[in-house]
Amino acid sequence: MKKILLSVLLSAPLWVLGQGFQVNLQGQKQIGMAGAGSALALDEASVFYNPGAVTFLEKNSVSAGVNPLLFKSAFKQAGSDITENVKNKIAPPFEFYAVWGPKSNKWKLGLGVYTPFGGLVDWGDNWSGKYALTSLNLKAIYFQPTLSIKITDRIGIGAGFVYNHGDVNLQRALPVNFPDGRSGHATLEGTGKGYGWNAGLYIKTLSNISFALVHKSKVITKLDGGSAEFDVPKSLTGSFPAGNTFNAELPLPATTSLGVGIPLSQSTVLAFDASWVQWHIYQDLSFDYVTNTPALADTKSARNYRDGSSFKLGINHQASEKLALRAGVGYAFSPVQDGYVTPEAPDADRYILSAGLSYTPTSHFEVNASFFFEDVKSRKQKNIETGLDGTFKTLVYAPGISLTYKW
Amino acid sequence: MKRYILNSFIAAAILFTAACKPEIETPAGSTAGQANFSKYIAIGNSLTSGYADGGLYLEGQKVAYPNLIAAKMATVGGGAFTSPFFTEEHSNGSGYLALTALVNGTPTLTPVADKLAYRDAAKHLDKYSGEVQNLGIPGMRLDLSFDPTLTFSAANPFFERLLTDAQVGKTNYFQFIQSRNHTFFSLWLGNNDVLGYALNGAVAVTGDPTTTLTDKVTFASLYTNMLNALTANGQKGIVATIPDVTAIPYFNTVTVPALLAAAKAINPAATAVYIQTGTGTVRAATAEDLIRLPFQSAGLFGQGAIPYGLHPLNPIANNWVLDKDEVVKVKDYVNSYNSSIKSLATSKGLAIADTYNYFNQVKTGLNIQGVGINAAFITGGAFSLDGIHLTPRGNAVIANVFIEAINAKYGATIPTVDITQYRGVKFPN
Repeated sequence: MKKILLSVLLSAPLWVLGQGFQVNLQGQKQIGMAGAGSALALDEASVFYNPGAVTFLEKNSVSAGVNPLLFKSAFKQAGSDITENVKNKIAPPFEFYAVWGPKSNKWKLGLGVYTPFGGLVDWGDNWSGKYALTSLNLKAIYFQPTLSIKITDRIGIGAGFVYNHGDVNLQRALPVNFPDGRSGHATLEGTGKGYGWNAGLYIKTLSNISFALVHKSKVITKLDGGSAEFDVPKSLTGSFPAGNTFNAELPLPATTSLGVGIPLSQSTVLAFDASWVQWHIYQDLSFDYVTNTPALADTKSARNYRDGSSFKLGINHQASEKLALRAGVGYAFSPVQDGYVTPEAPDADRYILSAGLSYTPTSHFEVNASFFFEDVKSRKQKNIETGLDGTFKTLVYAPGISLTYKW
Repeated sequence: MKRYILNSFIAAAILFTAACKPEIETPAGSTAGQANFSKYIAIGNSLTSGYADGGLYLEGQKVAYPNLIAAKMATVGGGAFTSPFFTEEHSNGSGYLALTALVNGTPTLTPVADKLAYRDAAKHLDKYSGEVQNLGIPGMRLDLSFDPTLTFSAANPFFERLLTDAQVGKTNYFQFIQSRNHTFFSLWLGNNDVLGYALNGAVAVTGDPTTTLTDKVTFASLYTNMLNALTANGQKGIVATIPDVTAIPYFNTVTVPALLAAAKAINPAATAVYIQTGTGTVRAATAEDLIRLPFQSAGLFGQGAIPYGLHPLNPIANNWVLDKDEVVKVKDYVNSYNSSIKSLATSKGLAIADTYNYFNQVKTGLNIQGVGINAAFITGGAFSLDGIHLTPRGNAVIANVFIEAINAKYGATIPTVDITQYRGVKFPN
């Protein structure tokens, strides 16, 4: 009867995904147009944006780029007078592409390595939501070998196989206190893998208006044997055993996009993309700890995501032989329903603004730069599961640069 | 070269954006509303004083809910708030219980014996002189606030330490709190008028006024007097209801089913736990009978030739048990007191912190700002090691219940307390 069962200290959720985790930074030219461009055979980034357009690229090329991303989120607890900010940490979404095919042939091979999902949020170890989350570093790196074939002079199809390498490091404070008063801390870290595909259709009409239909499949990423470390007072180590591991599943959603490209003049083209992001697969998140104790039960947290969507409009203007300029606007609807917003991805509907330029000093060499800005709307929320109650507001800044060699 | 320019451009862009922080607007602004917080006083008992872990000590005093509220009131015109803190040298005050081991879920509680504030062998505490705004006194009851004999001022060491030698034995709490020129008050008093009785297993000890139940009508009448005095100059304030005594770990940790399971583990033939009820009857206990927390460390259960508590001839004594009829009685008194508190406060236009309602929610379990809080002993986070009083985290949570009620009543915008900055129970290493 002297037994006092430790209550479930880990009842709170550990992880969530949002639109905020979808990183729309896969090619500098498209980024400069707010992410539109699936209906344009712009460059080797079509491996991601539309495999069907790859075969219409004139040259073979390799390119590499990076978009140092600053995710600036702020939180004000309900009723509080204090605004807390995430630490300035720069996430490095990157992209590498190679496209090759015999000249004047009907097919091209492509390879893309890019980061379509990820998140880097560090609220610090002592902020007011620390028991929900202190930091998250999530990276999904997709490897996509691709084949693109011209069916006619105006229709191309393409498809790629996707292998995802996922990395996650998630930390939060535990509401158990050491003798000096500080809180316990949990760190979950693991890598996982998953598979999927990316297929696209590209049609260029006689009027030169082009259309695209692209589907990127869901990628269920399985994390097996991730490490679950708990920094707790020694008297609780029985409840939080050392060397524990966990298994989890991370569903990355499918995206279906419809794109249109409209040439306005010889040098100017307009691109519009509408995307449907099928987040509904993300109904709950489960953590299966290999060693369970009365205080450390497996968790299954409801997420109840709905599908998200985005609309992007961009313009590409070839100002001179060597210089192209771009700009774009967009709007995205969040998949996160009221009551499920978390500090990992303090998501809400968002505006997108972008600009970009290309400089082509020689016929072999090209530099692209872009600037991408997202204004995620302020959202006052009380999370159903954790009770974290307050207002989130996020701004995202991502300048980017890439280098291309063509032949 | 071009690359150089672009890199510089990007570096400049990053520097620029680092400065562009998102802003979150607070529509209500910063105001005291119709209230004036320039001099706040807190009237109450142990909960108000910051008593925790079975004692009054400096760490607890600093995070007493009135102190947390006062710190936040400062942003809307609140003035200084003084408390009768123990000194750093005597920071452990009356002494308190620390959790020194937790083996297989079994806690060991050890009294802290250093840095105590006793000034003599009779266990009088260090005196505190000077302005006091946290007027919470452990053990204070509504009825004893009006102690006509004036002897409680000498008998209660927490009260005695605040008095000059000339006042000891010559005043009562009601007189003591007068003439403090306050502009705002909180009043959370009356808990002990029922808790004192319940904590003694519903046995009122003759000659010990701290173990009696205060008559319901008397309670209403004294509460009226108290409010009349506190609002004599039109001051605004907040009152708090009295939590259900059965919502605290003190009565919910050592349960009859747990006792029986423990007995069966040793002797599978054990069939029932026997108790002596308030009426003197001996019977098998049910889950509705509540056993006091200290019973777990009393070393009585199952002892003796006739195993204690496991045989009708050697039942658990009446004073260890709040039997189900006594539970009903105690609940009835709490409800009556609370209806008096609420109707009197409403008639005076005062804010009400419904802690009765709130602690019932805590009993069920709440998630606040990512922290799970419930009424479980040690792990629940809200209650300290005595199973009655609050942890710093519990004080922060209750401070917000007060702040939200004040804001709602007076249109003020006192900021809430960040509860995640306050600890629960300290677990040993």
